[in-house]
Amino acid sequence: MKVLDRKKMILVNGVLLALLALSIVGCALLGPVRLDLTQALQNIFSSNPNSEILFRARLPRVLLGVAIGGGMASCGVVLQALLGNPLACPQMLGVSGGASLGGIVGLIFFPNWLLPLAGGLLGEISWVPLAAFLGALLSMLFVYRFSLFHGRLHPYHLLLSGVIFNSFIAAVIMFLNSIIDFYQAQGLLFWLMGSLSTRAYLTVAFIWAYIIFGFLWLWAKGLSLNLITLGEEAAMQLGVETGQLQRQMFVASSLMIGAMVSVSGMIGFVGLMVPHVMRLIVGSDHRLLLPASFLAGGIFLCWADTLARILLAPAELPVGIITAFFGGPFFLFLLYREGRRTLAL
Amino acid sequence: MSNRPKIIAVPLLLGSLIVLTAHASLAHAASTPYPQRIVSLAPSVTETLFALGFGHRLVGVTTYCDYPAEAQKLPKIGGFINPSLEAIAAQRPDLVIGVNDSNHPVKAREMERLGLKVALVSVNSVDDILNSIKSIAYMIGSPEAGEKLVRKIKRQFDEVQKRVASAPRRRTLLAVGLRPLVAVGGRNFLDELITLAGGENISGNAAQPWLNLPDEYVVAKAPQVIIEAGMGSDRGRVARNWRDLESIPAVKERRVYAYPSDKILRPGPRIGEGLQEIARLVHPECFAEAKPGFNKGSGCEGSRP
Repeated sequence: MKVLDRKKMILVNGVLLALLALSIVGCALLGPVRLDLTQALQNIFSSNPNSEILFRARLPRVLLGVAIGGGMASCGVVLQALLGNPLACPQMLGVSGGASLGGIVGLIFFPNWLLPLAGGLLGEISWVPLAAFLGALLSMLFVYRFSLFHGRLHPYHLLLSGVIFNSFIAAVIMFLNSIIDFYQAQGLLFWLMGSLSTRAYLTVAFIWAYIIFGFLWLWAKGLSLNLITLGEEAAMQLGVETGQLQRQMFVASSLMIGAMVSVSGMIGFVGLMVPHVMRLIVGSDHRLLLPASFLAGGIFLCWADTLARILLAPAELPVGIITAFFGGPFFLFLLYREGRRTLAL
Repeated sequence: MSNRPKIIAVPLLLGSLIVLTAHASLAHAASTPYPQRIVSLAPSVTETLFALGFGHRLVGVTTYCDYPAEAQKLPKIGGFINPSLEAIAAQRPDLVIGVNDSNHPVKAREMERLGLKVALVSVNSVDDILNSIKSIAYMIGSPEAGEKLVRKIKRQFDEVQKRVASAPRRRTLLAVGLRPLVAVGGRNFLDELITLAGGENISGNAAQPWLNLPDEYVVAKAPQVIIEAGMGSDRGRVARNWRDLESIPAVKERRVYAYPSDKILRPGPRIGEGLQEIARLVHPECFAEAKPGFNKGSGCEGSRP
């Protein structure tokens, strides 16, 4: 295994980090309505429209977008390595389906339940994300149990049981959709399409803590992930506890995906595409690929959500439309260029 | 090989059966000039027929048709978006009435191929809705009932208009869902109702009839009244949702309302009542006869001192 190139590591991540910082500022300043920045910064603590637009409507949303984009991309990297499948993505694991179903059950049956935090001192949060997270945990246990044989998680079983589980859940969701009230169905579809709309810093902080923790766990296994892409047996011969690694990575990414889908719904394409794009740009050393994908995913989703807010203003587009619409062609272009280059050699 | 002809014969037989029943129903329609067996494909159409006094002619309604209570007892022919052709045909209707949006035009062509008579009405604007009431009344042979119902609705409109005539227009957000926030856009009869109620729809300039609004747009437009008209919404929850955006006048002045009924959302004969409900929320001072002094200086014509 090649020694990690420290200079490249610092350069790539430094550039991406700077771009991410610029993106956060840029996306917070852009939107469908005009923002008077001096007004916004002068009266942060009094209620004036400009500071509310910047600090309550936009900033939490931008920060959530960065966390979700980064989390989705890093989970994508790990799943593609773990399952040895370039099509692996966070939406495939079964966890996302379970989270969706949990969220929808919460949305339909307990839409008005609120959970007071610290006796109401910290405000209240909706049960919907909690129900979604519960759904994610249950489906994770389910898929895990059905892919575990003799103490080992089998990639093919993991992939297939995840995909089948998701189709089954999709059927249940469609069934629920056809028996509920017309206007509820409308809300349900919007929820399923995914949105980063939030004003709760508390939720954003929870998600950030969760994703940072999960990400560090994944990153710590970067070297082992490099080895497992050589094949399970090769990795085992090189001293990787493959069984343990697979179980850990599955649990870590499932927990992250469950938390992300719980707050933002199913935002597709980031977890599939960003890892591939970054692999083409920075190479496939997971010690570098993971942080680079995290940062790039954050940048990408941050801008995608800003476009979603602006393009059809005042209407807001589902952000999943933007991620697929702009990400897809760019990905194909990179893939084509890469193919031509390697074939020319 | 020997059962091949049978296989062909079955659809042939079925086909002729459908043709025969279609002919039979047409013949029936010809002998009695006005439809006696009507299937409604939309809650607003069902309400219209009952309001015209012809609910007894309905032989099939959608699963969403829950008003008036009698409608719930009628045979169901499926949902609003996915009515079942079989269930409709089984009722042998001599008229099926649907609406012009949704996928009813496509369904109508399929039904016509089965020999059913289908009529579609437009309900995209207030004028459309009033015309749809008149044309449904005309179809069932009672145009005077239609005129009477439309006159009643117009009287309700006039009454509201008189009350709010000189009251200042209030910027209003009318939403059907909070997370995400789905609001009434332009080209929606509810946009017109907001205007008639003395309000001004903050997203009335949007091209879409319904749209998902970002929070920042609501802050920038500073609505003076926020109404959530979704099902099962309670005022406490709606108010809590907006609590942190204090710069919005509706939040500051506590004009955030939940309206847990679909009365105002249906483009049917209850739009007059729906308008009154919206107007009461937009301009409560214009309807507050009971509290003298409360509406001082409000500029409400209809309110008495």
